[in-house]
Amino acid sequence: MFFYYLRLARISILRHWGLSLLMVTAIALGIGAAMTTVTVNYLMSADPIPSKSHALHTIQLDNWDESNPFKEGLEPPPFLTYRDAKNLLSAKKAQRQTMHTAAKAVIEPLAEEDLPLYVTVRANTADFFTMFETPFVYGGPWQKEVDDNNDLVVVLSEKINERLFAGENSVGKSIKINGDLYKVVGVLANWQPKPRFYHVDKVKAFDDSEDIFLPFTAITRKKINFDDNSYCWGPTTDNWQDYLNSECAWVHFWVEFNSPAEKQQYRDFLNGYVEEQRLYGRFKRPNDNRINTLEQWFKAREVINKDNNMLMAMAFLFLGVCLLNTVGLLLAKFLGKSPEIGLRQALGASKSTLFYQYMVESACIGVMGGLLGLLFTYLGLAGIEVLYGEKMKALVTLDAQLVIFAILLSVAATVIAGLYPTWRACNVAPANQLKSQ
Amino acid sequence: MLSMNNLCKVFQSADIQTHALREVNLSVNEGDFLSVTGPSGSGKTTFLNIAGLLENHSSGEFLLDGENVGALKDSARSRLRNQKIGFIFQGFNLIPDLNLYDNVDVPLRYRGFNARERKQRIHSQLERVGLASRMKHLPAQLSGGQQQRVAIARALATDPRFLLADEPTGNLDSEMAQGVMSLLEEINQQGTTIIMVTHDTELAQRASRSIQIKDGRVSEVPPLMKRVIA
Amino acid sequence: MLELGLIVRALLRHKMAALIIALQIALTLTVLVNAVFMIQDRQASMARDTGVNETDTFYLTSRVFAPGYDYQSEIPKDLDLLRHTPGIIDAVYINSVPLSGYGGYQRLQLQPGKDQSSIIAGDYLSDDHLLNTLELELIAGENFQPEDVLIQDSNSAQLPAKIIVSRAMAAQLYPDNWQRALGSTVYVDENVPLKITGIVKTLQGAWHFWDQVEATIITPVISLTDAGIYLIRTEPGRRDELMPEVEALLAHSNKNRIIRSVTTLQDTRDESYREHNATNKILLLVVVTLVLVTAFGIVGLATFGINRRTRQIGTRRALGATKGQIMRYFMVENSLITLAGIALGAIGAVALNIYLVETFAMTPVTPDLIVYGAIAVFVLGQLAVLYPARKAALISPATATRMV
Repeated sequence: MFFYYLRLARISILRHWGLSLLMVTAIALGIGAAMTTVTVNYLMSADPIPSKSHALHTIQLDNWDESNPFKEGLEPPPFLTYRDAKNLLSAKKAQRQTMHTAAKAVIEPLAEEDLPLYVTVRANTADFFTMFETPFVYGGPWQKEVDDNNDLVVVLSEKINERLFAGENSVGKSIKINGDLYKVVGVLANWQPKPRFYHVDKVKAFDDSEDIFLPFTAITRKKINFDDNSYCWGPTTDNWQDYLNSECAWVHFWVEFNSPAEKQQYRDFLNGYVEEQRLYGRFKRPNDNRINTLEQWFKAREVINKDNNMLMAMAFLFLGVCLLNTVGLLLAKFLGKSPEIGLRQALGASKSTLFYQYMVESACIGVMGGLLGLLFTYLGLAGIEVLYGEKMKALVTLDAQLVIFAILLSVAATVIAGLYPTWRACNVAPANQLKSQ
Repeated sequence: MLSMNNLCKVFQSADIQTHALREVNLSVNEGDFLSVTGPSGSGKTTFLNIAGLLENHSSGEFLLDGENVGALKDSARSRLRNQKIGFIFQGFNLIPDLNLYDNVDVPLRYRGFNARERKQRIHSQLERVGLASRMKHLPAQLSGGQQQRVAIARALATDPRFLLADEPTGNLDSEMAQGVMSLLEEINQQGTTIIMVTHDTELAQRASRSIQIKDGRVSEVPPLMKRVIA
Repeated sequence: MLELGLIVRALLRHKMAALIIALQIALTLTVLVNAVFMIQDRQASMARDTGVNETDTFYLTSRVFAPGYDYQSEIPKDLDLLRHTPGIIDAVYINSVPLSGYGGYQRLQLQPGKDQSSIIAGDYLSDDHLLNTLELELIAGENFQPEDVLIQDSNSAQLPAKIIVSRAMAAQLYPDNWQRALGSTVYVDENVPLKITGIVKTLQGAWHFWDQVEATIITPVISLTDAGIYLIRTEPGRRDELMPEVEALLAHSNKNRIIRSVTTLQDTRDESYREHNATNKILLLVVVTLVLVTAFGIVGLATFGINRRTRQIGTRRALGATKGQIMRYFMVENSLITLAGIALGAIGAVALNIYLVETFAMTPVTPDLIVYGAIAVFVLGQLAVLYPARKAALISPATATRMV
């Protein structure tokens, strides 16, 4: 019977094509709007490192001014001071730990005819690569000793290796920054986690990962300057060593745990550490040590921006309007078919059979709305890319899962929209419909 | 094969009770051609609706082939209608969106025949009413008499044992009416039981049995009286 | 009106159909009011004056890479070169560009010492040419003198004696009378005194979304870093022509650096408000389609209702109803449904707004917007039903007798 109902649906949809067009377009617009915002949100909140997302955590400590809390005391500063990061790193109390920050540098030409190359830099410690599972094409991470012994080494991104060494294995070769030669120990394969989880905030969450990776000592020894947000309080001097020892918070600190027990142990360790620091007259505010999961961190750093959430709310309300529109039109259409429904009952159709028939018709409209809605979604995403620019490129692609979701959403939406009109139509008393009109 | 014992139908609205049928006792036998006459509002249509299982009665007993249909659920009643009963209406009641072929197809679909069987039945029924050549036409492209013939073809397509006709010639001119009436007689002779509601006494006389409904009460018109009236 | 009761009773017989349209109108009003409100909110934020000449100004970054670069002499040399280039009105070396999303800030307190309340302000580090370069309007006090300007390493914590503040900042320091700020002393780093020697009318900071964006100070310091910004104002209309020239000029004058991100202030503003602009465009699209969907929905439903009642309408006409009366019937019917929808929608709009305010920290919607929205939706409903109502009025009285 299903195909018979499909044929009847086709006849009915084509006979009332204006009405059908109106319903299909309305559903498609609603689906398009909803799916566009869902896609952006879905991709924004995608897990950038599924194999590790449960294990990775970032640390916050409240080292702030006793009388002048950071962010009204709602939240400690997002980063650690250099001295705390350094202490926690040396304590090695977690499975793995790394500190890092952002910087910029210029790679100087080794040959006279070459041009200098401006690059973005991530300054980090050795565990960064293993913790975040960065894929290598050549070489690998630097040895842990490098973080202490000040060796000048570098890991290149694929892009920079392409640019400087024509994509060949450059391990063992050197690049020059600020007069120093850095030896290449590894080259990363294209690694672009979205969101860039190890460094997210309102503005930077979907930036590309860095061009080159240098040991953190390049910053501490002032071989290059860091270029990242730094939150300061208390007195400063013009001495770099003083700055490193200051209460300025600018170092990202991440740890990896293998079990909840390890996390609890680390929490105890942090409490002990803060207590110990209090002996030196620091940490005068109440304990607010935070061990953030990726999810908590993304939320705190507003990775999914408010505008997107708000637009999604509006888009779903818009879909609601479109569905009500469909309910109204279907109701009008099906009630208009009362004589036919009465006749079909006389000829032996039961109510459930008729219900099935008209639900098939509703679903057909839903599928068409869904397909047209996908086209609108595609246009909507293209529009978002135009409006928001390059940065959104990674966030405006439809995958198979989203396509299926869109179709299911539209069919489910229309079937729900069709329920009431169909129920009403099938509940006409056949005898009343069969008298001559 | 159809018997009504003390059957009543009461319509209940907010504060008024209307007795449409009162204590109907009637039995119709296989092969009967029963005409039902009576003034407007006497309960003719209600009688037909109940006989056709389109409506339930309020009290009493209604047996169809020995089965008490008062207790049946909607789906069972639908199946009975589909298998045993064919309908012909004053307003033809063809589905305007469907062509003739598809209109005749409707009850066959609900019966669950396979495609070959349906095709064969549609063709033979449309041929019988002389409209096989216009199978792809929509009802609006046909005259009233032709539409009613399609309706008859549709009613007969499932080989029903009963044919219920509600003023089948009411919307037709006399020439067309004669044609439709002859067709019904032919069908009756082939063994189909027919119950026909009409207000046309002349047509009513052509039936083998006649009943009259007045104020919800059914009375049989004896064959003798028929001749007297004639 | 006698007809009104009739219409109401007819509507009540089709309660659900009427309710569905009313709900649709309610939801439309809800979304409409909030979307328009959000658009207005963003428009207002974008319409704020930065206080600077945005049309003729651009900037570039000079990224030094060679070790041992002599900032102390190279930067003044660059500035001298720029200021003497024909077509350039003035140029400065600065730490940050308005609305660029990159900048510094300073905490000022009125009383020296620990535990004093402080006000945070965006901090521009530049010299006595800044007012002229950005065409800032000095409304009290005076500009810096060349000898006020400190030239020092970026890590240096030494502070000058004077600052200029924006009027918004002055008003935050002295809420009763901003003019009192002039000549007063404020403190940074607990006890380092700074004297306010000038007040500019408006100068926005680096972050448009910051609630302290209007509170800014100008500190006469040239902070020497390997990534300095030169901010340049040209004669009107010559900006685009001078941008590549200046880039080449600086690039050739010293090869130990890269000249990067040559950008106009206009592009910076566009980039800064890009999200606002995008959101507004999307919301506008939502509003327009929403209105269209609802309007077509009303047209569709009314047409269907009229088709179903063709015979009834024909009979009314036969019994003496005028075309006007038939039209009026449907217009009144629509207005009753719309009014019900508006009543629901007004509640919905407020509820949604409360939700948005709580979830996204927006400001509450104003009642007048709901009133305007309600009027717009009412007019929309009447316009949408106009065409079907006219069609109904054109139904011939003969329909009554002709229909089988």
